[in-house]
Amino acid sequence: MRPWPKPRGGPHRVVCHFCDTLHESVPVPEGTAARCVRCNAVLYQNRYASLVRATSFSLTALILMAIVHSFPFMSMDAGGMRTTLTPMGAASALINDGSPIVGCAVALFTMVTPLIMSGGLIYVCGPLLWGKAAPGATRVARWLTLTEPWNMIEVFLLGVLVSLMKLGKMAELHFGFGFWAFALLMLAMAAAVAGIDREELWDRLEVAKE
Amino acid sequence: MSHPPRGGPLGLAGCHACGKVSPETLGRCPRCGSALHIRKPQSIQRTVAFLIAAGVLYVPAMILPIMTVLEFGGSSAKTIIEGMMEFWQSGAYPIAIVIFTASILIPLVKIVALIWLCAAACGKVHPSPKILGKVYWLTELLGRWSMVDIFVVAILVAMVQLGAYMRVLPGSGALAFAGVVVLTMFAAMSFDPRLLWDRLELMEGAPPNEESPP
Repeated sequence: MRPWPKPRGGPHRVVCHFCDTLHESVPVPEGTAARCVRCNAVLYQNRYASLVRATSFSLTALILMAIVHSFPFMSMDAGGMRTTLTPMGAASALINDGSPIVGCAVALFTMVTPLIMSGGLIYVCGPLLWGKAAPGATRVARWLTLTEPWNMIEVFLLGVLVSLMKLGKMAELHFGFGFWAFALLMLAMAAAVAGIDREELWDRLEVAKE
Repeated sequence: MSHPPRGGPLGLAGCHACGKVSPETLGRCPRCGSALHIRKPQSIQRTVAFLIAAGVLYVPAMILPIMTVLEFGGSSAKTIIEGMMEFWQSGAYPIAIVIFTASILIPLVKIVALIWLCAAACGKVHPSPKILGKVYWLTELLGRWSMVDIFVVAILVAMVQLGAYMRVLPGSGALAFAGVVVLTMFAAMSFDPRLLWDRLELMEGAPPNEESPP
């Protein structure tokens, strides 16, 4: 695959997000990061096999999402009854039991955001593997930046662990296939987002549109 | 003292969305079409507004029950603090500490830290950007973890549906608490850490004997 290309023209510059120091944007070897000379914050990173990793981990995340939503996540036996949990069920329980806004927030942070992020990364990075820009890729890439802070998969997993401590005392709990898929989903999402640097993504997008 | 040049004084803005550096006079980023600003617009005002809203909501978030447990005998409403105490008394100390940190401490620390950052950016306290930059980075990093209690409520409401035996219902505190988390996240996003460096440069540029008249 072609190394990180730079768009035509120039000068290629970058400003530090933290201190606004202006730098010449020079290529760095794969696997290393360029840091701000003044505050030492990371300016950009040149990741190994960035496009391949971003695309393939996003694809993995999408497949895992399908698994998470089609298998039971956790089930509980108490008082002769069995209840099962899915992330969808957690959100809809709140919506049906008098907290629709919070329920929607839970759905947004655990299901919609990861879907937008992994779907968006595939849509933008997939065609870039062949040096092409998908129609509307610029808009999708902007959505990616906006949605990133709202992906809370790992926080939900911590919530599951806390709930286990609460429920474990009163009932017998079983982990389903969905739970393990969800744990893997957390790793896949983290790997997909860390797969490609924002600067590289946008440079490649700009070159593809030239 | 000489420092490497900064984008702002040269009229150059790094795009919020794609990072491309362009003259602010272009109005929109030539690469991605986002509006260009040298600094986040009305950064301090927006951050403070979100912080006030979050601070006001923090009170009902702590006082109102986050969930109600319906059992045979009756119902008991639990606030975040009561839920944490229950874990502590049953000996689940690590979980109690996690809940205390994520639900009570982080939102408070975040509000205080951002007020401090805003004061520093306005020159009310000394801006030490290297330390305060780390503080800002931490507030952005930790904010999302406060959501854990909301997810716990969602899971308990979904799992504990045992008919007449036991049920869990979400409480009004959950909405207030989710509001606190979202508002503090918006506050952190509105703050512009570059303002700290602007203030420092302003102070370094000022005559050294300004504060001590002869």
